[in-house]
Amino acid sequence: MLEQIFDNFAVERMLLWIVLLPLAGAVVNGLFGRFADRQMVGLVGVGTIGLSFFLAVVAFLRLLDMQPEGDAEFVPLQYSFYEWFSIHLRGRAVPIDIAFVFDALSGVMTLVVTGIGLLIHIYSLGYMSHDRSFARFFAYLNLFSASMLVLVLAGNLPVMFIGWEGVGLCSYLLIGFWYETPAYAAAGRKAFVVNRIGDFGVLIGMFILVAVAGSFDFASINHSSYSGAFTLAGWEAGTLATVACLFIFLGCTGKSAQIPLYVWLPDAMAGPTPVSALIHAATMVTAGVYLCCRLSPVFVQSPVAMSVVAVVGTLTALVAATIAVAQREMKKILAYSTVSQLGFMFAAVGVGAFAAGFFHVFTHAFFKACLFLGAGSVMHAVGAHGDADIFKLGGLRSILPRTHITFLLSCCAIAGVPMFSGFFSKDEILLGAAQLGVASDAAFLSPSIGWFVFGGLAIAATLTAFYMFRLYFLTFTGEYRSAGASDGHGSEAHGSGEHGYDASPHESPASMTGPLVVLGVGAVCVGWLGLPHLLPFTGAHLPHVWGEWLKPALAHVEFTPAGGDPLTAVNIAFIAGVSAMAVGIGLAYSMYANKSSDPIASGAPASLYSFLQDKWRVDELYAAVVLRPVKGLARICAWIDQTFVDVLLTKVTSGLVTLSSFILTRAQTGVMHAYGFVMALGVAGLMLWFWSPHPDVMPVVKGQNVEFTAGRGLGYEYRWDLNADGTFEVPSGEHASSTFGSKTFGSETSASHRYTPDDFRGFILVAAAILGEDIEIPLSEHAVVLDPEVLGPDWQVSGDAALPPAVRVEGNEVVIRPNSAAVYARGKLVSEKEVRLPAGSRLRIGQVPMRIAPVVQATLEVRNAFGNVARETVDVTIDVAAPAGARAEVVR
Amino acid sequence: MSIGVGEYLALASVLFGTGAVGFLVRRNLLIQLMSIELMLNAVNVVWVAFNRFYPERHDGQIMAFFVVAIAAAEAAVGLAIVISLYRLRKTVETDKADALRH
Repeated sequence: MLEQIFDNFAVERMLLWIVLLPLAGAVVNGLFGRFADRQMVGLVGVGTIGLSFFLAVVAFLRLLDMQPEGDAEFVPLQYSFYEWFSIHLRGRAVPIDIAFVFDALSGVMTLVVTGIGLLIHIYSLGYMSHDRSFARFFAYLNLFSASMLVLVLAGNLPVMFIGWEGVGLCSYLLIGFWYETPAYAAAGRKAFVVNRIGDFGVLIGMFILVAVAGSFDFASINHSSYSGAFTLAGWEAGTLATVACLFIFLGCTGKSAQIPLYVWLPDAMAGPTPVSALIHAATMVTAGVYLCCRLSPVFVQSPVAMSVVAVVGTLTALVAATIAVAQREMKKILAYSTVSQLGFMFAAVGVGAFAAGFFHVFTHAFFKACLFLGAGSVMHAVGAHGDADIFKLGGLRSILPRTHITFLLSCCAIAGVPMFSGFFSKDEILLGAAQLGVASDAAFLSPSIGWFVFGGLAIAATLTAFYMFRLYFLTFTGEYRSAGASDGHGSEAHGSGEHGYDASPHESPASMTGPLVVLGVGAVCVGWLGLPHLLPFTGAHLPHVWGEWLKPALAHVEFTPAGGDPLTAVNIAFIAGVSAMAVGIGLAYSMYANKSSDPIASGAPASLYSFLQDKWRVDELYAAVVLRPVKGLARICAWIDQTFVDVLLTKVTSGLVTLSSFILTRAQTGVMHAYGFVMALGVAGLMLWFWSPHPDVMPVVKGQNVEFTAGRGLGYEYRWDLNADGTFEVPSGEHASSTFGSKTFGSETSASHRYTPDDFRGFILVAAAILGEDIEIPLSEHAVVLDPEVLGPDWQVSGDAALPPAVRVEGNEVVIRPNSAAVYARGKLVSEKEVRLPAGSRLRIGQVPMRIAPVVQATLEVRNAFGNVARETVDVTIDVAAPAGARAEVVR
Repeated sequence: MSIGVGEYLALASVLFGTGAVGFLVRRNLLIQLMSIELMLNAVNVVWVAFNRFYPERHDGQIMAFFVVAIAAAEAAVGLAIVISLYRLRKTVETDKADALRH
């Protein structure tokens, strides 16, 4: 039956509905949610994302169905809805379509976003049930889902960027959801501003990519990077890829919280816990990794960019892990854990293990969402608001059994206990790094990068296992440390507050524990999709479902191991992964199981401990290095604004207006006769204007022809003398409309004439100006000595004498005496004492091109309705060609 | 002697001039309103005169009717203002009605 549905339904169109359903939910809840009851709001919020999840599953099944046999090229599900707009690039239109692509990469992300999104929506029904902005929360959450789906499904960069900005907006809105608390609103602002820095990088990277690849489509960009069509005049392909990838990666460091832009993510825990789980753990923060995978064929063109990604990822994984070790609040620890795990993913991308990095995105989404929701369940149970101090918890194992078991499973997953999901994905990443380390043909990446990543990640994995089980033991084992506290349920107890939590905690409702169980099962099982190719030591082969799925969507990087034994790297990675897990959990068990104090706080050097607890004091560093100069600059600008701009624009302007209005209002005497007198004056002025006609002749020169146009008016009639011979040729004969005495007038407002040498009344030398208007020099029988200003520099033949050329008119020709100037006419430098040139000739003096233009004259007489006649004579410089045989070429 | 458009225009000019001068020199609002009527009707004479010389078009007559209608409306409003002014100031001298000023 499912087959029938497939056949009768365009799966491609479904892609649109996957996005539109949550968007519709957001619109409905955002506009009408406040008037509806909570059940309705919840139904719309959860129902839309649920339907979207169902469609995503159908589409994914269809995608699996479409897997081609053999070596046939893989074609993803794709649909272009309409052309949004297009830009012009090198004379070609580059269309930007609202297009969605559903391949293995975006398919898995869509399933994660809708599936885990659905669970978190359900969880929120319970978690937010007492919040008064219930509808607003679901509207934001749905809007986020829609934006995230646009991001992952987009077939080109601009559409991806809509989603990229949309999730950033929703992140801001949801972090500052409880905006009444100034600190939370500030956290939202911080996230937004820090992300802006990254978004700028994405934009620049996008522009470089379109300039280089000539298309915004991911498929075309990736294809052109493969086929070497990655060109821009004056740049090497590798350099272009490096620059583009580094800018894109800058955006990824912002969105995915990597050094140096990770500082917003820990503060983002100010938002409600489901938000932390969905946006700041499972989906949005992995957008950077997703984008790197999407553009993986471009990234592999640039060893520099890959190395930067690998090193930044490793350093982030390490730094964040060390910070997490010293934190006291549940969500803070989980936040730094997220930053650290994102570092793992980027490290994987950097060493070319794209599938492994993306696999970690997938498994991490399950166990980290489960951990955050578990933390939310704990906070809900003990009545903590904002965050929970783990040193005031403890012993919750028996009180919150379901939360406890799912939390434990997820801790095992993230710590990398064998057979849990995190074990497989982390092992794949370590394997990727080790493979690069032992590679003999890693021409494009240095094996030392591989070992650096491997070492750094092994340490980070140890720290991960340690801090996660520190969190687990302190929260769930031992005695409940707030049992004696007197505070009632619902107290505004912040994590760092002095008082404890609810004395008698209770397990959360089924709407919260249900999603926890599903995610807990996922945290255990989803790793089985990516069983390793080769089992360590034995070398047995296993089917690698994950890698096969993603193969068409990712760049494929493979190294030949030195010594030829692929098992070496597998064994190294396995040993490192398992021992990191064992050491971390063992240390945590010995230090924190059934304990209530922090041995690190007393055991480690105080300065180091406080350094870690203060998060390496990066915020303080940024405040000193970035914020202070900016604030100083802002103060200077404010001073300039208040001192100059405000005075000039407000005081001076308003003063001018006041003054002029004072003067003008004097005319408002209130005496009606004064008004009447002024009106009469105006009427008299108008009558005076109309009494005599206004010729207003406008000549338009078209070579030898000139077209004259006269002004119009009351009863105007015209007659023209176009060649200045004293007789008015126009109107002629039948065109005349009226005759007064000997004068014949016509009603035509324009007349044109073709001028011949007989009509010329004089000559003008026109010097072409480089800037501005041409310079016109009137000529006569008396010689005019040209002004050296007009001639510009270098007009002399030699530097000895500086006598400018003299020009005069003789008959119908112009005579130029060059004197000491370099005059070029008739194709050569004039060496004679004088040269005669006819009208229309072109010449050059020094650097300045000139022409000899004849002047003609025309006269217009206008008669108006009152019988008055006005006359206007205009001189017009026309442009004629020199007579044949006398044409003088300019020598260049 | 036949009467041409010039004669009509001369009459209209005299009427208009009388109205304009009357409006400017008299202080009585009623007289000023009459002066305005005089000017409007001078214009009407021009309209209908031209219409007589170009009888195939009716613009002049139509415009003359518009002017008559507007003049009626203006007279109605103007006389109402005169009555109000008289109630307020016990006079119809326009010199006394100078409250609307700077």
